[in-house]
Amino acid sequence: MGRRTHSFLIDFTGVILVGLAISMITLGNTIENWFSVSSAFQNLNTIFLSILIEAVPFVLIGVLIAGFIQIFITEEHIQKWIPKNKFLAVTMSCVVGAAFPACECGIVPIVRRLIAKGVPIYAGIGFLLTGPLINPIVIFSTYMAFGNDFKIAAMRMILGFAIAMIIALIISLFVKGNQLKPSALHANANTNKEHHKQKFSQKIWGMLTHSVDEFFDMVKYLIIGAFLAAAVQVYVSSETLLGIGTGVVSSTLVMMGLAYVLSLCSEADAFIGASFRNLFPTTAIMGFLIYGPMIDLKNTFMMLSVFKARFVFFFVALVTIVVLSVLILVQGIL
Amino acid sequence: MIFHFQQALRAYILIAFTVFLWHLHYSGEITKYINPKYEMISHIGAVIFLLLFIVQVGRIWTKKHEHNEHCHHDHNHDHGNTPFNLKKLVSYAIVIFPLATGYLLPAKTLDASIAAKKGTMLVLSGKAQEVSNQQANLPDVIETPPVESDNTTQIDPELNNVDEYNNENIPPIDDNVQDPNAYSNTVSEEKYNEMISELENSSVIEMTAQNYSAFYEIINRDLSQYIGKTIKFKGFVYKEDGFTSNQLVLGQFLVTHCVADASIVGFLSEFDEASSIDVDTWVQAEGIIELGSYNGVEMPIVKVNNWKVIGEPDQPYLYSLYTN
Repeated sequence: MGRRTHSFLIDFTGVILVGLAISMITLGNTIENWFSVSSAFQNLNTIFLSILIEAVPFVLIGVLIAGFIQIFITEEHIQKWIPKNKFLAVTMSCVVGAAFPACECGIVPIVRRLIAKGVPIYAGIGFLLTGPLINPIVIFSTYMAFGNDFKIAAMRMILGFAIAMIIALIISLFVKGNQLKPSALHANANTNKEHHKQKFSQKIWGMLTHSVDEFFDMVKYLIIGAFLAAAVQVYVSSETLLGIGTGVVSSTLVMMGLAYVLSLCSEADAFIGASFRNLFPTTAIMGFLIYGPMIDLKNTFMMLSVFKARFVFFFVALVTIVVLSVLILVQGIL
Repeated sequence: MIFHFQQALRAYILIAFTVFLWHLHYSGEITKYINPKYEMISHIGAVIFLLLFIVQVGRIWTKKHEHNEHCHHDHNHDHGNTPFNLKKLVSYAIVIFPLATGYLLPAKTLDASIAAKKGTMLVLSGKAQEVSNQQANLPDVIETPPVESDNTTQIDPELNNVDEYNNENIPPIDDNVQDPNAYSNTVSEEKYNEMISELENSSVIEMTAQNYSAFYEIINRDLSQYIGKTIKFKGFVYKEDGFTSNQLVLGQFLVTHCVADASIVGFLSEFDEASSIDVDTWVQAEGIIELGSYNGVEMPIVKVNNWKVIGEPDQPYLYSLYTN
């Protein structure tokens, strides 16, 4: 029972698993013809898988970064970097988020790891809000979708940044503690001390195994969110939703609701937003463009994997209220 | 040696995702889910899955008294070593679900039923209305060059760089031949300008997979310039309750990133046999663009004079045209 048997067993099991996975393809092709499902469910399944295929690479990159933070960044680093002053900490987190080209799926595991490492909740939320909203790809796609009009793209960034600041500041005043679910809180001080003693190759190994665990913690919530978002697209007509509102407030709420249930990637939602431009005032379109990247159905589920449910519901309500009230206040300049 | 079933299951799920993604790439099915422009990022995803699989395989067998990694404290993060129970069964079932439906169910091209949920006529008529609103409000912003003549505009050699025009003749695009550029859908700035000047100057507009998104935007924006021109285009048949018997929409989905963000583009078309064609049939049509209205909203309507039923194209979706 030496090292050789161990590595042989590992190689052998690995080969078997690869073989099993590949044989699924042929098996799938055979079984495919055994039964049929309704065309609506096939549409649903196609949209569901497309959201997953689109999101999964970003989630994987997110869990790798989270694994990296877990192993290589210590709580002392974090304490050195984050300003003590709440306002400064919120500003810094929003600016870092804006400079960090993340999308809403990839950012959740990163924020979770940062908060577990001692980043205050309000700074983590600031980062979570601006990360997906303000980045070069989003600016570019918004610019293109609105007929090469820079005004909408600029308003989206500026207003989005201001709204993120307000939300993070409110959280800094009213929310105590880190709000992580107990199972998500496992970066304790002794792991860090231990990591210092490890060799670099062990650290890399630790980073990757952490990434695997993080992925399995998170992916089931992503799957549920993606499935519900796909179901909404297949079974709910957007005309019903559009029939609800005509005034500025109600139409803004309708567009925010649409952004929430569609759960589009912030890099791709501008084209959908633009297609409603004629039906609703700019305020409502702005609601769609700013609210969607901050919170949506898919992300609510991903956040539930990280934060206490009470905090997630408080967060969704807070984002909704702040986005709506800011947009109503500034509607004159839109 | 101790065999850890859950670690093995996790390893299997990771390799199954890798194989699933690569299978989609090699069979070409991936284009039924995402814009090929983003294929690289999904390859990267598959490589990360493979890497995580290799790491995970090392955790399946442990020596008898080996500690599981650094796990000697009492935190309850799930490393996959705690006993298997019903809650876990549900979790793993959720993760396996997309793999199962991905392998078992064929990818479906989005059809008219999805178009209906997306509010096709609101979107199409809105497109035209928004432009007329803009023109009414901001007349000086839109630089509309004076319309020289209505339908038979001749190519004015002075307008174009003559050299460019002679050196690079665009071959006529046959609709049955797959446009090689359509999959990446990126053209040079030069080629783009050439395509646009061709659109502005010729009396027959040929919509292809490559130029559709760009031309559609321009035609709707400067509609008055394109009224009376002939247009050749294709799409699947979509019908709505408010249509008259000779009306249908020939539409296509424009995909930005993945099919979940598909938006509908197309033209309301009129011809006598429209009522006899079933929804979701693909039709190649040729007709004249006219200014019509639907539900009181002014919008382009194509009076079709020539049409034929075609099969669903290999590449049923449109992608935005980018220049490099």
